[in-house]
Amino acid sequence: MNGHRMLAVARKTLRSLRHDRRTAGFLIFMPLFMIAIFGYTFGGDLRDVEVAILNLDTGGSDGSVADAIIAEISYGDTLKLSILSDGHTDPLSTAEGVVRDADAWAAVVFGQGFTAEVEEGIAAMKQGLPVSPCQVVVLLDGSNPNIAQAVVAEVTAAVQRVLVTEYGFNPPIAVHPEMIYGEGAEFIDFFAPGVMGLAAMMVTLMLSIISFVHERANGTLDRLLTTPVTEGEIVGGYALAFGLVALVQSTVILLAAVILFRVEIVGSPLLVLLTIFLLGIGSQGLGFILSSNAKNEFQAVQFMPLILFPSILLAGVFWPLEAVPELLRPVSSFIPLTYAVDACRSIMIRGWGLGEVWPQLLILAGLAVVLLTLSAYSLKKRR
Amino acid sequence: MTEDVVVTNALTKRFGELVAVSSLDLKISRGVVYGLIGPNGSGKTTAIKVMNGLLRATSGSARLLDEEVPVRGVIHRIGYMPQEMAIYTDLTVHENLELFAGMYSMSRGNFEGAEKDLLEMIDLAERRDSLVATLSGGMKHRVSLACALVHDPELVFLDEPTVGVDPELRKGFWDYFAELKSAGKTVVLTTHYMDEAVRCDIVGMMRLGEMIAEGTPESLMKAAGTTTLEDAFLANAKEGSV
Ligand SMILES: Nc1ncnc2c1ncn2[C@@H]1O[C@H](COP(=O)(O)OP(=O)(O)OP(=O)(O)O)[C@@H](O)[C@H]1O
Ligand SMILES: [Mg+2]
Repeated sequence: MNGHRMLAVARKTLRSLRHDRRTAGFLIFMPLFMIAIFGYTFGGDLRDVEVAILNLDTGGSDGSVADAIIAEISYGDTLKLSILSDGHTDPLSTAEGVVRDADAWAAVVFGQGFTAEVEEGIAAMKQGLPVSPCQVVVLLDGSNPNIAQAVVAEVTAAVQRVLVTEYGFNPPIAVHPEMIYGEGAEFIDFFAPGVMGLAAMMVTLMLSIISFVHERANGTLDRLLTTPVTEGEIVGGYALAFGLVALVQSTVILLAAVILFRVEIVGSPLLVLLTIFLLGIGSQGLGFILSSNAKNEFQAVQFMPLILFPSILLAGVFWPLEAVPELLRPVSSFIPLTYAVDACRSIMIRGWGLGEVWPQLLILAGLAVVLLTLSAYSLKKRR
Repeated sequence: MTEDVVVTNALTKRFGELVAVSSLDLKISRGVVYGLIGPNGSGKTTAIKVMNGLLRATSGSARLLDEEVPVRGVIHRIGYMPQEMAIYTDLTVHENLELFAGMYSMSRGNFEGAEKDLLEMIDLAERRDSLVATLSGGMKHRVSLACALVHDPELVFLDEPTVGVDPELRKGFWDYFAELKSAGKTVVLTTHYMDEAVRCDIVGMMRLGEMIAEGTPESLMKAAGTTTLEDAFLANAKEGSV
């Protein structure tokens, strides 16, 4: 291996990118675009979910429990309430109709004797008598599980709070979450590392496939091989160049995540970049091997979905690995992106350092070495 | 002193059934301009590719500068200009030259000198910083030639170096080849232009993968009893087909 020749190959690769302004722009803006799209789509918490309220409660001597609960619910901004009038002949089916027509995601119904039942129940409990709980009915459109869950959680929480404040009714057992990692973390903190890895992988893979098919088709690869440069140096030079591209991209993504979405990077950003660099050179090797089995760009690009979809779905970018079916888990462990995303997440959210993420980095580095060696070998074999 | 810098022994290359190069025996001495001529598909490019290690010989062997092909130890003393335009169109002229100089680990000083001379020879000094994609076809060819010569090789293979090049520059090229020759370099080139072939020291005529005649242009014309190399070639080709 001659470092100067490898650097010369890397330099020429970066130079051709520099001359191609549009591609260079694409390399920077594509990840920005990705993080922005994902950030704005998934990043925010649920807000203003339309919920209809049907309150038939006639109240008791101290006012209405239903009113208290409704007030609690409307306190937050997750749900946006619209109160249905109880003047209809069949108010219940009106409430159901609102959900059926998708005018609201849910309808919360308080029965006529709600307050009375609650007060009876509490009195019975104080005397140690058995109680059958009275019900708040929530008619749900479950077509979006996230929303359905959020509605039920909001209503349940409001009920709990009213019980505590109005009746001093404290449940004897409370689940008390205490964050060891990720205090204040939001969904965007979870997937920003994933999107970063995905963007780096996609772009290096694509660049490497297309560059090599080009080199072959134009005869420049053959010509290089009649000079003293070795197969290893060519592959190494390209890996260096595309690794750098991945680095620049990741820096852009990290900055965007921090500035636009207030993602907090607890650990070392440099370690994150190192992870992405390793992922980048590994993907470059993969692209090279794929392109050596292709006759032209079209054939080479056909491999992309084959690599991309499993990576998106199985590498834990958007869903945790625990959500991957048992049967497919082994596939996950063969995808380089899995390790990169895992490491970046641990660094960015848990604040882990090299001491903790070294196994992932070692695997990434090992994969990169294997893939690059195979690439160099695929060149040699061809001659 | 005659030293053979290119020697092939029954060099043969088949592509399946097709015999592209058939039992070629070449001996080319140092300081010679050697011209391979022959119709399209006669095996000139294939022979050169085998010698440069881009294709593996089916049988036979070749030696360049006393090393068995594919060479490794003497590779930096050899230059090669492919028939197709194998340069980077998304780089400038200068960047292409610098890349190839880098492949030969040339020092900055050496490269700058060589670049200046070569740009003058190919008459593209003022296009040094143009993207190759923006050059004319002939200009691209000239850049490709310069890339093969940048490291001052002592043995250079040029596959149709003058295709698409205008007459004035072609003359310039041949003056440059003469310079290389007088500096003791060996040039192996292919051409379809007979006025160029007569300027070679030795001409090898190929047909259907075989060498059908070889010698100085004068001796070839004399042997065939013709006054032009073209007629000599046609006469030889006819003989070969009988
Ligand atoms: N990669 C290949 N696969 C199969 N056949 C090939 C290949 N390369 C060349 N050939 C065949 O080998 C023969 C010799 O081709 P070659 O390119 O050496 O000819 P040439 O003398 O250089 O012709 P030209 O003057 O057109 O450049 C041709 O019949 C060609 O079709
Ligand atoms: Mg040819």
